[in-house]
Amino acid sequence: MSARPGSATPIYLDYAATSPVREEVVAEMLGCLGKDGAFANPSSTHALGRAAARIVAQAKVRIAARIGADPDGLVFTSGATEANNLALVGVLGASRARRHLVTTLIEHKSVLDCARALEAKGTEVTYVRCGPDGIVDPDALERAIRPDTALVSVMHVNNETGMIQPIAEIASRCRAREIPLHVDAAQAVGKIPVDLRALGVDLCSLTAHKVGGPKGVGALWIRPGISIEPMLHGGEQQRGLRPGTLPTHQIAGMGKAFELADPEVEGPHLADLRRRLRDALAEIDDVHVNGDFDRGAPHILNVAFPGVDGEALRFALRGLAVSAGSACMADSPEASHVLSTMGLSDAAALASIRFSFGPTTTADEIDTAARLIAEAVPRLRRLALGAPAWCRELRSGRATGPGGLR
Amino acid sequence: MEYSFDVERRFDSPAGAGNIEAPREGAVAHGEAEDRSLNVWIRFEVQADGGTIREARFRAFGCPHTIAAASWAAEALRGAPVDALRSFDVDAARRALNVPKEKLGKLLRIEDALRACAERLTEAALEPLEG
Repeated sequence: MSARPGSATPIYLDYAATSPVREEVVAEMLGCLGKDGAFANPSSTHALGRAAARIVAQAKVRIAARIGADPDGLVFTSGATEANNLALVGVLGASRARRHLVTTLIEHKSVLDCARALEAKGTEVTYVRCGPDGIVDPDALERAIRPDTALVSVMHVNNETGMIQPIAEIASRCRAREIPLHVDAAQAVGKIPVDLRALGVDLCSLTAHKVGGPKGVGALWIRPGISIEPMLHGGEQQRGLRPGTLPTHQIAGMGKAFELADPEVEGPHLADLRRRLRDALAEIDDVHVNGDFDRGAPHILNVAFPGVDGEALRFALRGLAVSAGSACMADSPEASHVLSTMGLSDAAALASIRFSFGPTTTADEIDTAARLIAEAVPRLRRLALGAPAWCRELRSGRATGPGGLR
Repeated sequence: MEYSFDVERRFDSPAGAGNIEAPREGAVAHGEAEDRSLNVWIRFEVQADGGTIREARFRAFGCPHTIAAASWAAEALRGAPVDALRSFDVDAARRALNVPKEKLGKLLRIEDALRACAERLTEAALEPLEG
């Protein structure tokens, strides 16, 4: 890929947003689309339908193997957002006596916004903060559990910082209180080992497109015995929990992608890239990793560059395809809720960038990215020489500071 | 966010950025403006002599549009009468650079900084530079 600023093909360092579909996955999907392929409705009882159903079953086995779970517990959805909604709305909907939900302030919007929608309909929600390192304290989470808690929902790997949450510890606390635990594993699969049996997770949201699969398909894995209501109605597919004709090609693609996304194979390469970028950026003054570097997933590095405007920095780095640590509105910059919860100042949160890597990212691309950053940050800081302290401050005082770079 | 070619050019090479070094004649004044909620800070320095702006320089913490508009203003003010500091219309810069209207709130800080310059220039004019 080209590395020139403004180039039409920037270096792609945004794998946490989405990933290109692997060639093997494309081939698997194409086999389900044409007249000579497994295009039939997998619910049909004729031979062609049964052939499609076998492909769905094979995909379930592949997906379940990657997450250490029973294939029968998988319910396919349109992605992790729908899976998260189904988990929260479905479990709370099935719970008559318990009307309390525990989640964290660093969840993906698809959990937070769903929780707020449930609140508007009478569910009580407790939002647990993370520490300045971006990691949720299991003790704090346990303290939030009440006798009427119906569900606890915590993400496995944070999508902005890459911080790995202590799911096994949280699961054991939930199990002791007989509260089901839902985990959004969208950023974990393929990057770190995920074993739902060993972790003791009850519901788990998955998506295909973060691991070289197609967009538009995901799944919710549900442990047998968990009470849950459907959000959609209109058929008996997937035990009535998610009716609608199964998209065989999407499911086949997800299955293949999960089969290929082996953290034992790809994790070390990703970790090398992450360390390489961290070490290169350490040469620039006043640069900080957001979170605890040693407790992060291997594919995400979130870095704060105090003293520069975030939008200006991203534009200066337009030779890189990276994401902001924030949702930047046109004239009303909005700092990332995750970084704010960790205690970053608004200016530092806005000046944070998430770099994320994939199996095809190269060391040369990391070196080029580091060089572009090392040129842009001092230039923008010189332009802002004499600016007031708030432009340069890292922390807001809302919490103690994030982990240092060194 | 879209950026016009002119914004891109001025962002990459912001003419008028920096400080006025060792002015030999006339009066020099600076003015600042900021809006923390918009994540923007601007500082202008102007050198005036005989009612005319001889030089204008800026520093900025802000988005590419703000930096480009400040650069445009610095160039536009050079050679203009001092009164232009008070009457400067940042919307003219916005239109010239094809900056989205949503950015006007940030760009208005440029006007504030220039008016602050005008105030100080008036005061400075009462006390001519020595040496």
